[in-house]
Amino acid sequence: MGDLVAHTEQAAGEFDTAATSSVTSAEGRVHLPGDVHMWVMVLGDLTIFGAYFIIFMVFRARNPQEFLASEQHLNINIGVLNTLVLLASSWFIARSVQAARADDHARALRLTYFGGLCGVGFIAIKAYEWSAKITQGYTISSNDFFMFYYMLTGVHLFHVSLGLLILGITVRELRNPRRRRPFMVEAGATYWHMVDLLWIVIFALVYVMR
Amino acid sequence: MTTTAARTTTYAWIVLSAITIVSWWLAPGHAHGATAVASVPITVAVIVLAFIKGRLIIQYFMEVRTAPRWLKLFTDTWLTILWAGVLAIYLY
Repeated sequence: MGDLVAHTEQAAGEFDTAATSSVTSAEGRVHLPGDVHMWVMVLGDLTIFGAYFIIFMVFRARNPQEFLASEQHLNINIGVLNTLVLLASSWFIARSVQAARADDHARALRLTYFGGLCGVGFIAIKAYEWSAKITQGYTISSNDFFMFYYMLTGVHLFHVSLGLLILGITVRELRNPRRRRPFMVEAGATYWHMVDLLWIVIFALVYVMR
Repeated sequence: MTTTAARTTTYAWIVLSAITIVSWWLAPGHAHGATAVASVPITVAVIVLAFIKGRLIIQYFMEVRTAPRWLKLFTDTWLTILWAGVLAIYLY
């Protein structure tokens, strides 16, 4: 264990591997949560979404009045509720990782279920929001704002679904006493928090800014 | 099982939720409100708050604050380019 810690500290600034990932994260100790493959996927996703957000801003800058007027038709209560639900799910998942590290697998499993349930809640709220907008006559072809609204939230919703699938892998991992590899639980959590992080940006750009 | 790590996670979550609730007042989409007007101060506030929220998620939920340096650098660069870009395009 001592050697492993020393090695991890030595590896600061370098790519961590699954082997060193088994070291429990604590204050002042360098540790890559999950594994490097998950981070490559997450950082790639962040970069692609980042470009998409910038493109949204370029279109917005060309017609700020239309974007602001359209933004007013969104229901901010729903937007805030969706954000709070996703933040709560991230809290459950972050605590689940800590429980798994403490070898409290029953608790980790329970927290993962609650996190996933919040994810399902997010999808349900989004489905309600979309159907309400469509009923009011705001569709993907209404204008540029609604095109971005449906595309950004739609692509994000796909990531939420994929996140739920990944949480399912975490559940399978935690339920099997012969698995329960900490880095697998961490990798699933990393992806789930990315979904949360992307939503925070969408919420600010599409619902709140003026 | 209330460890320091657990408490830190909960504090981060409380701050994130509080900022989200504050955003409710800043947003233009209120059913009975008057027609929204563009506002540079509000938009700058929204951008700063979103930057803070993103960094809290990255540092405390994704545990990047104890991660290797390359990951801290990448995520901070991403956040900075994104929000500086959004602000620059908005003001331009």
